Amino acid sequence: MSRQHWCLLLISLGSLLILLLSPFAGLQGIDQEIRHTILHDIRIPRTLFAFIAGCGLALCGMVFQAMFHNPLATPFTLGVASGASLGAALSVFLGISFSFLGITGASLFAFAGALVAICLVYGISHLRYGFSTETLLLTGVAASFFFSSLILLIQYLSNVADAFQIIRWLMGSLTIVGYQEIWQLLPFVLITAAIILLLGRELNLLSVGDDIALSRGVPVKTVRYILFFTTSMCVGAIVALCGPIGFVGMMVPHICRLLIGHDHRWLIPTTLMFGGGFLILCDTLARLVIAPTELPVGVITTMLGGPFFLWLLIRHRRPQA
Amino acid sequence: MLIESKQLACKIEHATLLSDISFTVAQGDYLSIVGPNGSGKSTLIRCLMGILQPSAGELILKGQPLHSYPRRALARQISYVPQAVQTQSMAFTVLDFVRMARYAYHHPFSEWQPSDEAAVQQALEITHTTDFSCRQCNTLSGGELQRVMIASALAQQSPLMLLDEPTTFLDPHHQVAVHQLLQTLNQQHGMTIIEVTHDINHASQHSQHILALHQGQMMWHGQASEFMEAQRLYDLYQQDFIFVRHPQTGRLLALADES
Repeated sequence: MSRQHWCLLLISLGSLLILLLSPFAGLQGIDQEIRHTILHDIRIPRTLFAFIAGCGLALCGMVFQAMFHNPLATPFTLGVASGASLGAALSVFLGISFSFLGITGASLFAFAGALVAICLVYGISHLRYGFSTETLLLTGVAASFFFSSLILLIQYLSNVADAFQIIRWLMGSLTIVGYQEIWQLLPFVLITAAIILLLGRELNLLSVGDDIALSRGVPVKTVRYILFFTTSMCVGAIVALCGPIGFVGMMVPHICRLLIGHDHRWLIPTTLMFGGGFLILCDTLARLVIAPTELPVGVITTMLGGPFFLWLLIRHRRPQA
Repeated sequence: MLIESKQLACKIEHATLLSDISFTVAQGDYLSIVGPNGSGKSTLIRCLMGILQPSAGELILKGQPLHSYPRRALARQISYVPQAVQTQSMAFTVLDFVRMARYAYHHPFSEWQPSDEAAVQQALEITHTTDFSCRQCNTLSGGELQRVMIASALAQQSPLMLLDEPTTFLDPHHQVAVHQLLQTLNQQHGMTIIEVTHDINHASQHSQHILALHQGQMMWHGQASEFMEAQRLYDLYQQDFIFVRHPQTGRLLALADES
């Protein structure tokens, strides 16, 4: 077995182990009956939810980094997360509290915001320069700033309670009860993962350069459309349900690249498993560090992922030629 | 005729980059495209690759309009070697990178065939890159990397290879190595080559035909041996040249006159 086989196997086993153990962490000394309820109605769904969201965020980040040849690209680079956040902020500001098919008003508004952002970014970048990566990236970043400023405006105009609620939403959270959100999120992540898995060779060639990919036979524009829409929808759904959890989408693909190399046929399954396991681990720590109070999971992802990434970077530093 | 250009024109946002370009390239030909900076050489290559759509006229590849080819089918006919690639984005081994060039022969669920491996090994052998096929592309020198790029294009097994200034960033030793490699490909393997170059001596000595572009128009097209002429070179580059004869081959060489 090659190094890549081992890496993928170990990461997958590690992630599954975290997935299995996490629900039981912090349950000591709780009455048997309540324990059963907590485990089945809160812990297990929450852990599964974290796994699915982590998989989705990490995969979308990986795709954006390959597609834009930019190591700083994240799933939120194209303004989808800001659009979703604006939607959620609006729903808080307008005091909307309905739910439709079990989806809360905030999530629906957030998803609508994500769709608006996708259409806007696609429309503007397509209008003039024909959907090149540079225009897409610039349009996305500009849209992202625009939405962020609108969120600030809404916060400024809101009362203290609403403003605080918006800030809490922007920190991202995996607090769910029951399995409903899982069924809402799962199709998005499953479809995205399947499509990305099928496009491994295309991603390899795209990561080298658009001209090379074209001349080797990749229909670059079509592939870019497919990737843009599937990943954006997936990010939109994740952000709508758990807010913009930062860092997973940016760092996990980099960590996986350092461990397993740049070949997407290996990188895709590795990133998928690592992303899921990593977000569960962070969420478990967020629950436990100052229990019974919880920290926002986004804080933990950054505090844990940042130093780990830097350590890997230093360890892998090659002598300069 | 392998490829034929009929009154090709290309416009981008009202700027005319190419107009009225007509030429033919036969199977086994070696065509050099020369001309000053901004004369439309790279635009022409991008049209031939099918990246840019002609605004008028058309390109015919093996009797069919070039734009009617699906991407994969086109890649089985035309391969491309760029001027330079960003090495930091090439975090693959040489072998993996050359294998990636077999993309056009595969679909998401197709298996790697012995014929694929044979094409890859042959490409590595011809370009003398077998020795470092396990190294990472981003650790190679410029000359080695350019040979790997040619190996990758070769693995596509297409009859036509396009090269955009393949030796611009190489030292003389590696320039000669790449020139000899192209010569071998053309003469021994029957590969049709279209190369954009600034090296008019190389073009006139090694290629069969030369196409000179000036301000997006075709200034001259003919036998490479008839290219070297003082007035023509002056019209093309606005620069005087001194001519000397090669002591061994007797061919004319042009040196830019700096006095």
